[in-house]
Amino acid sequence: MSTDDRGRLRTLLDRAADWLLDATVLERLAIAVASTLLAIAIGLVIVAAAGFDPIRFASQLLIGAIGSERAILRTLRNSVLFVLAGVAVAVAFRAGVFNIGVQGQFIVGGFATVVSIIWLAAFVPTGAVGGMILLVFGTLVGIVAGGLYGALPGVLKAYGDANEIITTIMLNFIAIGFVGWLVAGPFSDPDATATRTRRLPANVELPQLVFSDPNLSIVGLAVTLVTVVAVAALLTRTSFGYDMVTSGYQAAAATYSGVDAKRMIVLTMTLSGMIAGLTGAVFVIMIQGYFTDPSGIGNYGFDAIAVSLLAANNPIGVLPAGMLFGGLDSAGSHIQINSDVPVQLIDGIVGLVVLFVSAPELFRMTAKRTGLGGDSE
Amino acid sequence: MDTQPSTRTPDGGEPAVRLDTITKRFGDVVANDRVDLTLERGTIHALLGENGSGKTTLMSVLYGLYDHDEGTVSVNGERTDFDSPRDAMDAGIGMIHQHFQLIPPMTVLQNIVLGHEPTERGLVNDAAARDDIIDICDRYGFDVDEYLDTPVGQLDLGAQQRVEIVKSLYRGADILILDEPTAVLTPQEVDSLLAVMDDLRADGRSLIFITHKLDEALEISDEITVLRDGESVGTVEATGATEQELARMMVGREVLFDRLDREGEPGEPVLRADQLRIDSDRGREQVRGVDLTVRAGEIFGVAGVQGNGQTELVEALTGLRPVTSGEVHLHDEEITELRRRKRIEAGVAYIPEDRQREGLVEDYSLVRNAVLGNQTLDPFASRGVLNWGTVADHAADIITEYDVQPPNASTTAHSLSGGNQQKFIVGREIGHDPDVMVAAHPTRGVDIGSIEFIHNRLIELREEGMAILVVSSKLDEIQKLSDRVAVMYEGEFVAVVDPESVTDEQLGLLMAGAAREVDDYRDATLAAGSDSSQPDTSAAEETTAAATDENPTAGGRS
Amino acid sequence: MRTTTLLSPKRLRLVGLAAVILVALGAFVSIVLDVQVERLITRGFVTRSLEMATPIALAAIGGLYAEKSGVFNIGLEGFMIFGAFTAAATMFMLGGTSPTQGQLWLAMGVATLISIILTLGFAVLLIRYKADQIVAGLAIWFIALGFAPFTAATIWGSRSSPGLTSINNLAFGQSPMVFFTVIVVAAAWVFLYRTRYGYWIQAAGENPKALDTAGVDVNRVRYATVIFSGAMAGLAGAVLLAHAGNWVGTGDTMVDGRGWIAIVAYLFGNYNPIGAAAAALLFGALDMLNVQFQTVGIEASARLVNLLPYVAVIIVLTVWGKTRMPSKVGEAYETEE
Repeated sequence: MSTDDRGRLRTLLDRAADWLLDATVLERLAIAVASTLLAIAIGLVIVAAAGFDPIRFASQLLIGAIGSERAILRTLRNSVLFVLAGVAVAVAFRAGVFNIGVQGQFIVGGFATVVSIIWLAAFVPTGAVGGMILLVFGTLVGIVAGGLYGALPGVLKAYGDANEIITTIMLNFIAIGFVGWLVAGPFSDPDATATRTRRLPANVELPQLVFSDPNLSIVGLAVTLVTVVAVAALLTRTSFGYDMVTSGYQAAAATYSGVDAKRMIVLTMTLSGMIAGLTGAVFVIMIQGYFTDPSGIGNYGFDAIAVSLLAANNPIGVLPAGMLFGGLDSAGSHIQINSDVPVQLIDGIVGLVVLFVSAPELFRMTAKRTGLGGDSE
Repeated sequence: MDTQPSTRTPDGGEPAVRLDTITKRFGDVVANDRVDLTLERGTIHALLGENGSGKTTLMSVLYGLYDHDEGTVSVNGERTDFDSPRDAMDAGIGMIHQHFQLIPPMTVLQNIVLGHEPTERGLVNDAAARDDIIDICDRYGFDVDEYLDTPVGQLDLGAQQRVEIVKSLYRGADILILDEPTAVLTPQEVDSLLAVMDDLRADGRSLIFITHKLDEALEISDEITVLRDGESVGTVEATGATEQELARMMVGREVLFDRLDREGEPGEPVLRADQLRIDSDRGREQVRGVDLTVRAGEIFGVAGVQGNGQTELVEALTGLRPVTSGEVHLHDEEITELRRRKRIEAGVAYIPEDRQREGLVEDYSLVRNAVLGNQTLDPFASRGVLNWGTVADHAADIITEYDVQPPNASTTAHSLSGGNQQKFIVGREIGHDPDVMVAAHPTRGVDIGSIEFIHNRLIELREEGMAILVVSSKLDEIQKLSDRVAVMYEGEFVAVVDPESVTDEQLGLLMAGAAREVDDYRDATLAAGSDSSQPDTSAAEETTAAATDENPTAGGRS
Repeated sequence: MRTTTLLSPKRLRLVGLAAVILVALGAFVSIVLDVQVERLITRGFVTRSLEMATPIALAAIGGLYAEKSGVFNIGLEGFMIFGAFTAAATMFMLGGTSPTQGQLWLAMGVATLISIILTLGFAVLLIRYKADQIVAGLAIWFIALGFAPFTAATIWGSRSSPGLTSINNLAFGQSPMVFFTVIVVAAAWVFLYRTRYGYWIQAAGENPKALDTAGVDVNRVRYATVIFSGAMAGLAGAVLLAHAGNWVGTGDTMVDGRGWIAIVAYLFGNYNPIGAAAAALLFGALDMLNVQFQTVGIEASARLVNLLPYVAVIIVLTVWGKTRMPSKVGEAYETEE
């Protein structure tokens, strides 16, 4: 058996090498890096044009993202959300379904988690065990809610021929409006001044263990990593993942190979929505502790599209891409306090990254014209 | 339809179109090889040939869609070299594409004038356009002017086609190219189209009529040029030509294939279909009550000109298309409603017609392609988890056994030639030990070496007891491989014949729909079923038409 | 064209749907909540509804032109933000905190011009570099959400501007931009359905190859419509600002989703400029109804009422499915050589 194992290891190594040397992988990496650098460069030019010191700003970007333990923890905390939501987008895009509705699924999932925990809290004992039950239950409800909210546009596309891009954008608005109404009305906390739900019970808290940041739990990081690895494994190592990815690459070949295209659309949207729902659950349990008006909750679901694209829709690639966005976000928080440069600049830079990532052809043509990047056909 | 003997308008002037030794290559593939064609003014010239024989390519060269590599194009006596369809249009050439160039939600009138709108004070002059169109319609008896304000998408295909013709005439086309115009029409619509073509000719216009239907070519045209594998086989006067002659020219023989030796008798029926009726995507009935039985250790060939329902039949048998009625059985089990995946798992393998769209994922490596369709089968997957090690071994095995070049499992399918792609697919489909193999055009666009290889492999499988259904429009291939041959015409099996004794003429006639003339023959063979000792056709031509131009892979990847 | 398209069943159903929504809404409000309708539907309400509808209608016209030609300009929201901000900034540069009406008009012109320049770059990315239209459009929104408040903060030291000035009303206490929009809508309709360029726009979105074989440069048509859509969105933002009189850059800025509503409006109006304008009016009225609800003392469902258009779009899209979108939206077109 050992020779067989060695052979297999050899094959794996060969494949890894092939993958790394694969022109498309390298090219995508180059495009991601170029997009980010170009966006930051433009950002710095704007900083300079607005009369600030670009060097100082650049250093503050770095300090804000990774300059101190606090900054690093904050970056990690943001990254958790960007990575999870990015995986949700990547799953759908990989299968050729354009789920723009991760933001809505994220909101629905998070809200369902809060509401279900508060509801169940009345029936379970307080203390650690009860907390565990609530945690698991709430997370599951969040996943299911997100999944259902994702399945809806999937069903509409598969069986009603409704373009998922538009329906998911609409469903984002509906999620924001409807949950916003619920948060302000039926589920509002009468004792709070701000518009928000009641707080989660005190025993619903992820263990702190390693980090000093109260809003970052090792469990949250673990859930993120497990999700990334699980989705990557699903896509690359299972028959179902093969079905999904093949559907994204070449729908006719997928049908030939036995994939039921309509069913696959619904399943893809459901899976994507489930991960978005999980993101919402992690957000409320680990970070917020209650649910506020979703119109001011942050555009994690939208930024996730950028994260996923930056990673060429590869779940493993989402990890560094999500951390980049987490870092930028974190730098934003730092700059807001420690600099005169208005923090919205960071959002603009993120937008530029997205813009450049959307047009890989721009870099290909530029590379060709300048003779860089060798001969890509 | 009046078929008065066609009289070519005597005209001392230059021919409308003269194509002289046109050669067009796509990479290594020669799509047109020194083709000559002369369209006399005021005549209809049919361009006859199988799919992939280079008809459309030749016309695209004329219409300015492609640049040609060698040869000259003259229109009305003048050397021309069109860069774009716009140039061709300006020179008075109009082309009615197989896929209509219409905008479904826009009205008929808007479609006709598109790009050539008469305007008045900035607005489209509807009335002027209307008058012009009505003039054209009156002149040729078109009914198009009756629904000028209807969105084109609401018209049936025949009417859409008339809109296309009126559009070309409106743009002032004098020379019309009709690319397989009858393919989408009902018989009644075909009749009225041919009448229209006759009127256009009478009015002095010159038409090129691309088709693969012999009767239509004979009925309407003055001259017929037959293309085969990118070369012109010859040009004949329609008067005096026969369907047999044309059929022989059209299908010909690419290489001298000897019928392969075979051993063993067919066993139990494996794949059976009863009274299958199948609709196309457009909802037209394409298969009209087909019965078939494929036995273990037998190759059952389905011959026929493309578009007679073979594609739909194959898709229904492999689980890719629902049937409207009838039943499909595998062994003793009914599988009519079985999904594609379940059919694969039940042992139905399929070499698809369109390998680049269906049979392979072009951007996948060969390793990943080696499991396409088999991604749920043991040993490649167990309980939903893929075993890439086994798959990689499998890919390596296919590459070795089928001599796939380049022999590197991590190259993408995209970078393989057509022949190597096909060998890989054949290897993959056999690899999971199926009971039935459905092979649709298994050697189309494949080089000769690979053809031999694939043929030998299919015969070996037959000998191992597999039930094999081969669909092909190449007669020689069908005759070489099959134990029995069904000829498909307009959705029906018009005959099931013995490939050893049937003559090319007979097959050609059957494929051309002239079943009546061989009725006696068909009845005899049908009664005999698969029994291969037919007494009444002992005079089988063994080596007809050995006109063998070495001509690899026409119409392959472009 | 003619009456067949004006009175097509599809259109009748759409208009019917809109009417049903309005009536149902009215019934709901007046019966369930026992409110006198006349207190809700005042003259001020109508005036303000029209005013609210104006920017949405303008952006919708632009967006529908782009999409008709085959390019989904999902960046309308972003261009509106740029338009509103540029107008405010220009006004402030010209006249400080008390600009004149002339300066206000000039500022609207400048805002449109800047939008055209920005859209030119956007169009090049989309058409020449075949950028993903959805992602690039979202990017425009992000960029606008970032850079507009950023620049505002560098100018005013806060994301929002101080009070500037709003546009003087014309006849009937109505903004001149309302009248202007009516003209734009009518012109857009005539241009799209009665001129050759309108035919080309429709053809470019449905079957670009047919247009190409008719000898018209598809990409040139698409450049024109995309740039037009940006100009209209920029103008829409400027109009929004001219009505409000000051720039608000907090949250999702003062544009606050109106660009998205504009997309919904033209979808709802079935890509017809008049339909889109009618839908914009419906949304403007819904928006105002919320305000009226509050003044009349109904608190509850204002936010839910606002969701009706989105729900309606999903239903309409599902029921009429693929017949609605131009079939080649989102696909880059390349001519064969």
